[in-house]
Amino acid sequence: MVDQATTLEHLGLAVGSPDIKSVGPLAFGPEGVLFVGDNVGAAIFAIDVGDSAAAGQTTAIDLENLDSSLAAYLGCSREDVEIRDLAVHPHSRNAYLSVMRGSGDAAVPVIARIDASGAISDVDLEDIGFSKSDIEDAADEDDPREVTRVKLRTVTVTDMSYVDGLLVVAGTSNEEFSSTLRRIPFPFTGDTDSNSLEIFHVSHGRYETAAPIRAFVPYQGNNSILASYTCTPVVQFTVSDFRPGELAHGKTVAELGAHNRPLDLVSYEQGDEEYLLVANDRHPLIKIACVDIAQQGPLTVPDDSLDDSPADPVTPGVGVPRQLLPHAGVRRMTNLDGDNVLMLQQDPEGNISLHTYNVGDL
Amino acid sequence: MSQGQAQTSTGLTLAWCDHNGRAALKIGGWPSTEPGDQEGLDSGELSRRFALLTTEALESGGDVNTVPPVAGRFEVVEGALYFIPRFPFVAGASYSLVAHPAQAEGADNAAVVFHIRCPAAEAKPSAFVTAIYPDVGTVPVNLLKYYVQFSEPMSEGRAQRAIRVCRDDTGEPLEGVFVPMDPELWDPTRQRMTLLLDPARIKHGLVPNMEAGYPLIEGVPFRLFIDPVFRDARGRPLRAGAERRYEVGPEVRERIDPRKWRLIVPAPGSLDSLLVEFERPLDYALLQRCIRVNGPLGAALAGQGKSTPGEEGWSFTPAEPWVDGAHQLVVDRRLEDLAGNSPVRVFDRDMTEPDDGPPPTDNVVVNFLCR
Repeated sequence: MVDQATTLEHLGLAVGSPDIKSVGPLAFGPEGVLFVGDNVGAAIFAIDVGDSAAAGQTTAIDLENLDSSLAAYLGCSREDVEIRDLAVHPHSRNAYLSVMRGSGDAAVPVIARIDASGAISDVDLEDIGFSKSDIEDAADEDDPREVTRVKLRTVTVTDMSYVDGLLVVAGTSNEEFSSTLRRIPFPFTGDTDSNSLEIFHVSHGRYETAAPIRAFVPYQGNNSILASYTCTPVVQFTVSDFRPGELAHGKTVAELGAHNRPLDLVSYEQGDEEYLLVANDRHPLIKIACVDIAQQGPLTVPDDSLDDSPADPVTPGVGVPRQLLPHAGVRRMTNLDGDNVLMLQQDPEGNISLHTYNVGDL
Repeated sequence: MSQGQAQTSTGLTLAWCDHNGRAALKIGGWPSTEPGDQEGLDSGELSRRFALLTTEALESGGDVNTVPPVAGRFEVVEGALYFIPRFPFVAGASYSLVAHPAQAEGADNAAVVFHIRCPAAEAKPSAFVTAIYPDVGTVPVNLLKYYVQFSEPMSEGRAQRAIRVCRDDTGEPLEGVFVPMDPELWDPTRQRMTLLLDPARIKHGLVPNMEAGYPLIEGVPFRLFIDPVFRDARGRPLRAGAERRYEVGPEVRERIDPRKWRLIVPAPGSLDSLLVEFERPLDYALLQRCIRVNGPLGAALAGQGKSTPGEEGWSFTPAEPWVDGAHQLVVDRRLEDLAGNSPVRVFDRDMTEPDDGPPPTDNVVVNFLCR
């Protein structure tokens, strides 16, 4: 195996043992660097996962009862396994999972690796190449005069994506209710503030609100971002509109209905067209054609038909056309290799599995 | 037989031990011919002969040959076999050692399985809820968030099943009040949790608000319950649950207006507190950091600022005596009231309403004289 720690010095990674306190959102960056959101430690780590394997001919990963297998591997009960995110290595096509084993003082952060055969291993987090960026925006922090006061504000990262030299990070504050999209240059320079954006979106042409972004996905060659919010709108942003220090306004292109929470998004190509999937906790998996997003005007006119409509995400008149897919219990998704989408699915009994779907069948 | 040591029917002993500073499992008492054999075994052969599994995986229908073994390695040291786990053993969990016979003993010999339970820590509950904010009797129907303060650092992952809201008149649960708590929002000490009411139901113009309405019901009092199933950082439940009753008043959809605040200004030379009375209760957490006082020279004054009971005001006790002259109360634009309205904008700004204000611009300053 190649000594990746040495080869990744040019990305600012140095060998050591990162003080990772928790693992959450994952995203792969250049040269197989894995970004790991650590919400307890208020930091994002870039780590060298040391995966120099070449992808095999078969990259499909299908593994039933993934949570039980992980529990067995980690030497704990199934209840002690919390799978938080999924990403696929850009070269080896191995799946990586952020897993918390246990909670409280006994919690152990784990980056688990699943290969195409379904074998489980994990990334040794000692003596690896890594670099670290604090999430906290120090300039926004509390008044420096009151140095003795305990700082209680945190930013919890909900999703990340690497886009053209920038790690784009969506997060939720535990105090103010706002929408800030951080753009952290990589290799990390310590500069997390100057590229922060406050984002607003307009509902029905009348109510302008800010809200934390739950999940997002870059598409159209990273020129657009589709973001989903805890408060249900699906909002499109044009990346070239992002200017440091300025407010950004997104276009609300759809709403997903009441009592529903978006969980994850993924982009893929089918034929010559690009599509997005939106996974939800209550509603089915939704498929949206990117060309329809471009053609969809902002939701500007209050729609009276809504008053009589059921909580149905395909209600006409509530934005961009969408198709419901039958894949049940999708919690996380990622593009496996261009031809396949890997999905983390949970059945009604709570069992979690990994399944690979060919884009032609989606 | 103690919990931490197991004597098997074949004379083997399994015991928890320290192995080079790490908790390990020691497997002793092998027949005299075996240890010597094992010392000659490489790690590959050891892992073919022995596997440690979780008893849970084995008992839930797993086969000794298909259940993934617990990550770790076997080592033979001075005639004893050790298993050093990749991740620490879990207190209270049961593990199963599977010993396959050596090949020379024939393929017919079935694997032998031994069980041992890891000692469990004492679990006497001690943590409790010390406060629930807002600390008010009546909340607006468009209330945005709660803070629950615990006496000790807590574990994550229990909020969804530990927190509920019921009507006070009928006891009936109010459903869909909170945003699903994944990820949970904790402060760095893991002692204060933030709970967001579903903003989709609070914001005007969104389908959920139109379909389902506000999470709370104006005029219908309710109780917030914190059940003891929460776990502290050491895995123990709460000493007791907690609850708080609230009345529900009308919606609040206007900016915070610091110009309407009443200031009680101390005399120069004193160390008395500046008292600020708000026109309505404000967000507890943000109050602790979103207001400051500038002195006549324009610099921020050192001192202690904190909210008053019920979050109806703010007090500032200076480190140095007040001096004569013009002061400023500087209000961070991110300060919020109980419904998420800030000094610069209404939570769900109606763009057809000029009073709702433009998007955020800057902090708000209130001038006052100390003389």
